[in-house]
Amino acid sequence: MNYIEVNGVKIELDEDGFIVEPDLWSEDLVKAFAKTEGVEELTEDHWKVINYLRDYFKQFGIAPMIRKLCKDTGFSLKEIYDLFPSGPAKGACKLAGLPKPTGCV
Amino acid sequence: MLYFIGQVFPYIAMGVFLAGLAWRVLTWLKAPVPFQLTMFPAPASAVERVTAVGKQLCLFTPLYKGDRTLWFWAWIMHVSLALVIVGHIVGIYFLTQQFTLIGLSPKASTLLSESLGTVAGIMLLLSLLALFYRRTAIAEVKRLSDPADYFDLLLILAVVITGMHMRLPTVHVDLPVIRTYLGGLLTLQPVPIPENWLFISHFLLVNILMIYFPFSKLVHLLGSVVSRAMISEAPPVYPTPAGVQRQATIFAKEGQSYESSATRGQGTGSQSRGV
Amino acid sequence: MKVPLHVAKEQEVKAAGFKPTPETEIKEKFLAKLDDVRSSMRSIMVMLETCTKCGNCAQQCHSYLGTNDYNNFPAARAELMRRVYKRYFTTAGKLLGRFYGAEEFDSELISKWMTYFYQCNECRRCAQFCPFGIDTAEVTIAARHIMSELGIMPKFMAGIAVNMEKSGNNMGIPKPAIVDCAEFMEDEMRDETGLDIKIPIDKPNSDVLYVPSSADFFTNVDTMIGAAKMFHHLGVNWTISSKILEAANFGLLFNMNVMREHNQRLKEAAREVGASLVVQGECGHGWRAARMYTEGASGPVPFKIMHVLEYAAENLSKLPLRKLPLRVTLHDPCNYARAGGVIEQPRQIIRACVEEFVEMTPNREENFCCGGGSGILMDEMMEIRMQLGKKKAEQVKALGSLDYFAVPCSICKAQLPHVMKHYGMGSLSMGGVMDLVGKAMVFDK
Repeated sequence: MNYIEVNGVKIELDEDGFIVEPDLWSEDLVKAFAKTEGVEELTEDHWKVINYLRDYFKQFGIAPMIRKLCKDTGFSLKEIYDLFPSGPAKGACKLAGLPKPTGCV
Repeated sequence: MLYFIGQVFPYIAMGVFLAGLAWRVLTWLKAPVPFQLTMFPAPASAVERVTAVGKQLCLFTPLYKGDRTLWFWAWIMHVSLALVIVGHIVGIYFLTQQFTLIGLSPKASTLLSESLGTVAGIMLLLSLLALFYRRTAIAEVKRLSDPADYFDLLLILAVVITGMHMRLPTVHVDLPVIRTYLGGLLTLQPVPIPENWLFISHFLLVNILMIYFPFSKLVHLLGSVVSRAMISEAPPVYPTPAGVQRQATIFAKEGQSYESSATRGQGTGSQSRGV
Repeated sequence: MKVPLHVAKEQEVKAAGFKPTPETEIKEKFLAKLDDVRSSMRSIMVMLETCTKCGNCAQQCHSYLGTNDYNNFPAARAELMRRVYKRYFTTAGKLLGRFYGAEEFDSELISKWMTYFYQCNECRRCAQFCPFGIDTAEVTIAARHIMSELGIMPKFMAGIAVNMEKSGNNMGIPKPAIVDCAEFMEDEMRDETGLDIKIPIDKPNSDVLYVPSSADFFTNVDTMIGAAKMFHHLGVNWTISSKILEAANFGLLFNMNVMREHNQRLKEAAREVGASLVVQGECGHGWRAARMYTEGASGPVPFKIMHVLEYAAENLSKLPLRKLPLRVTLHDPCNYARAGGVIEQPRQIIRACVEEFVEMTPNREENFCCGGGSGILMDEMMEIRMQLGKKKAEQVKALGSLDYFAVPCSICKAQLPHVMKHYGMGSLSMGGVMDLVGKAMVFDK
């Protein structure tokens, strides 16, 4: 089993490093994930993307289209990659506590 | 013993050869082709399909596109083998006089018949040796090969070598006697086999090859036709024309492990889809 | 089990609708399933019994050429099935054993199958070069089917099966999100063209049911937009269906019963909206599944099935296209060229949409796979995926400078950006062929 430790509590991860139990998401978890996903410092911009993803997921139960994410947050795809080096689908979604997008992606 | 080898065993060999091949092909044809396996670009009509398959089978075009050296030896081997088989039938039946039919003198006919046979035999021998060498020389092919793969080649080589041996000028083979013997076998009035040990060993090896043939990879003789026919089938037409009903029973049988979405989540887990 | 991909755990297997097989029953059930497959697929019997092991396929397989792993050489891959098959189902194999290349089933075998049948892209290129037309894709399809019947499958496939069942698409996009995405794309098209171009969802009494790839609703937006613009301009009465927002049929890639269920879903969706024509979006194996398997899987088909590129090519002269100043090449998805007969259409379309079209070598039915085919898109397989994509990268590199790389299949669209980046061509922009149609269309405002 994979775990990530947040404030002394072990949180279970799946093989891809995504959290298994979405309710266990916390801002501290984001900070812990940031290190593994190549995010050096969490800025306001990061939180803007993460919060957008979380809100969208809460409403629709799925990650938004990448282009919609860019348009609504005002970041270009390149800027998103600068923020989250492992990309919007695998990096940003992981930090936001969303399940890993699957299929032909 | 000679009675068995000469008058009984050939019938066993022929019986096993024909029945074995028929059995193999029928087992294949009994299994359905639930989905068209068309390889595109697909032949547009039945005539084109037959032409395409014929070309692939006669000229080995897929090999030509790939490994040119293999294509050369494989093609030479099969063509010379075919020539040798035809040569046996014609040459023995006409006692090498077949070319008098196209105006040659009896002597010239014999000479041509014997030369052609010798050339085809040598080509066959060389190509079998080349294929044997290739099997040992290419790392992947060597690793892939089982004893049986070498055995096939060796068995055919043995047949060819004993056959070619009889062509040596120092060896005398009485062709009319052999014709009488083979004629007797064919007309179901077997006569004793000529006591020529070269001929007996050649003929015995052929019989062994015939028995081995249907159970070995040598069935690619027919497998290639069935396989090619399958991947050159015309694709389905939609909407499905009236009266067309493709074999729709695929894998699902007793003890189905996959539940349809209708039964999933009900915790039964034992539902058979029973298609 | 030590294999390069994540194997679905018991819970995931069950969630996908399969029954795990207890260790003690594996052999017995494996042989029963192999028997089942052999008697239901002539191809398996003929192809396993006909190979002469000439090895011509070795140099034709991008998987072998990229990984240099003996078991990825097509004849050797098929041997993984052939050897047990011979032992239990052929006379010579039962009598002669190892001499004839027959081998007993052992517990290692399943790991080998999971490893190597998931490094075959089912591209069918070997069948093009086999003197007997032996198609290793058939063997791979059968092997993956047998394993999934035993409850052994990649986590990736199991997850997709769950999403498909729940939402009608591989990504698991629920209907409200589909509506939201469609509205977003409509807005995008309005901003660009000033026109009210609709993406109708579940519209009854439609003539055409368009089945996009669900990835068109996540990453490949321009493919969907291209199709919508085309239908709009042609005045087609069309719709997409929330019941099947998925051209991809992963069942074909791991379990034939799941494949059939998908095809039945397609038939139901078409009946629901009243479509007489189903147009399949840009998805390679999904096209093969729809085109070649629908009838065999679920009986007579009452509608016509076309590929969106066939449809666009047929209507090309009616589209208001202005050539884009681009130098473009085309990657033939394996399941279009070799397995689906969509070969010249993408070329006609691209030539009409851009100034310069260049062919890569080899092309058409002899093209090499992108390396992601048959759903080998697992993240954990990334290193192997790059090896599988090596031949493709070499082909593209040989063409020099390009502006756009047309890859009209969602798997290729997911795989090739990684491959290009890995082999130093990360800046090359790529996408579908319908993307080009959408961009080349000029509307009067």
